[in-house]
Amino acid sequence: MKAPNTPPRIRIAAAGKRYQQHQIFENVDLTVGEREVVAIIGPSGCGKTTLLRCIDGLIPLTQGEILIEGSPMLAPRAGVAMVFQHFGLFPWKTVHDNVAYGLKLSGISKAEINERVPHFVKLVGLSGFEKYYPYQISGGMQQRCGLARALATEPRVLLMDEPFGAVDAQTREILQFELLRIWEDTPTTMVFVTHSIEEAVLMGDRIVVLKGRPSSVHEVVEVDLPRPRDRATLLLPHFAELREHVWGTLMADARQAEFDVIKNN
Amino acid sequence: MSGSAVLDADGPRGYALLNHPLFLKATAGLVLLCLWEGVVRWLAPPYVARPSGIAQVILGVLGNAEFLSAAGATLSAVALGLFISLITGTLIGFLMGRIMLLEQGLRYYVNSLFATPMVAIMPLLTLWFGYNTDARLAAVVFAGFFSVTVNACEGARSAPLECLEVAHSFRARPWSTLFDVIFPSSLPYLIAGVRLAAGRARVAAVVAEFFISIPGLGYYILYNSRTFHHNEAFVAVIVLVAAGVGFEAFTRWLTRRYFPWHRPR
Ligand SMILES: Nc1ncnc2c1ncn2[C@@H]1O[C@H](COP(=O)(O)OP(=O)(O)OP(=O)(O)O)[C@@H](O)[C@H]1O
Ligand SMILES: [Mg+2]
Repeated sequence: MKAPNTPPRIRIAAAGKRYQQHQIFENVDLTVGEREVVAIIGPSGCGKTTLLRCIDGLIPLTQGEILIEGSPMLAPRAGVAMVFQHFGLFPWKTVHDNVAYGLKLSGISKAEINERVPHFVKLVGLSGFEKYYPYQISGGMQQRCGLARALATEPRVLLMDEPFGAVDAQTREILQFELLRIWEDTPTTMVFVTHSIEEAVLMGDRIVVLKGRPSSVHEVVEVDLPRPRDRATLLLPHFAELREHVWGTLMADARQAEFDVIKNN
Repeated sequence: MSGSAVLDADGPRGYALLNHPLFLKATAGLVLLCLWEGVVRWLAPPYVARPSGIAQVILGVLGNAEFLSAAGATLSAVALGLFISLITGTLIGFLMGRIMLLEQGLRYYVNSLFATPMVAIMPLLTLWFGYNTDARLAAVVFAGFFSVTVNACEGARSAPLECLEVAHSFRARPWSTLFDVIFPSSLPYLIAGVRLAAGRARVAAVVAEFFISIPGLGYYILYNSRTFHHNEAFVAVIVLVAAGVGFEAFTRWLTRRYFPWHRPR
């Protein structure tokens, strides 16, 4: 799928992270191209969020390095935005002000912020809710708001940490297809962490399976499904094949991993 | 507190009025006033304050220039002292909450001074400031400052990690994080601190006036009690109570109006 000489947006080399004596992941190698979506899947507690935090520059690696556009990621940087598993909306800011947060910090004038925010609010389907506070909108809408906040900074790298993990199944499906539509309009580099195998197959150009304790890249699955993807993609026989394949890889010793998590905690 | 809920509850119709909370409050108040009036008439000498006596003097006292200037002196000292406590207490509390060294160094002293009864150090304050209005202001600030500091520190420490992570990810500077995250998330704590401080500040002002004999509501109460004008003294008590209740209502209104996200619904 990818031209081999494309300069990598993200290059992760021999990356590892340890907390005290606890090695979370190790030997992670991954290169992500300019318009590529890499889905990361793995059991709970395997270090997906930790890896994403490292890519965002929120926490340092303990081994290896992460380069974005060629320079090491030592602190959060413009052009890289993250959508959080916990949404991370400010309860005391309205939808408008939450979406405007990244823009405000980048020093853009108020007039320009007020011009740009409505576009992104509309993009995620929150028009009319600009003046609402997070507690007044549903979980799905809250994550739409978190997505708009990240998109508003027009990032070249979008990091998504189980963005739809905390919403119900129907909302999740709706949001998946909306995200696909948004991505088709402005394809960027995206690292998409998820628990859901279907979601990984639907979103990713490649699926990285993280597994083990400490975890490492167990397998990389190429997803050669055509884009643009939509609901019809779910019905393709090849979709089912890929899903079964990932399921097999992931579940082989998933039960054992779950027991390990409990024992180790 | 909702009366309609009680009224809607099924039950014999005749009990509806009896169950109305306003009716119960009014009845209880009336009974208590009658008891007070009766007991004083029956047992106490004529100069002891009683509802009918207070009712006779209240308008006269409230229109009296001397009383008004006393009330103004006390309440403005309380307001000024609270204002000083709020500004300095918030500043120092925030610094303690966000700077570990400062918190570790100061915590025991701040907590000890918070626990020190203001009345106990009143004689010392008069030594330091003299028998004047400065000593009263110092007493008010002493009573209010530590409540605000302790709460501001607690509030700053409990700023949600999710929000701080988002701020970090969007490359917020410490100064903007103070205003975007730490200050708003501490507001509930600050409000609690100020409400506590307001109660302590009124006690401090009155006690200081007892002690120093400077014009004010406390001194007004002392003087009138000693000259057997108990009804007049009681009017000053009522004004102090009203000031407290008024301030409570004001903070509640402020919270609802400007911080609706705090304790929604
Ligand atoms: N600050 C920290 N200090 C010590 N250990 C941590 C810290 N943060 C995370 N961990 C540990 O790292 C491991 C991986 O956590 P992480 O949140 O990355 O998992 P995850 O794959 O995102 O899980 P989930 O799918 O449930 O979100 C966990 O065992 C956790 O206990
Ligand atoms: Mg996670």
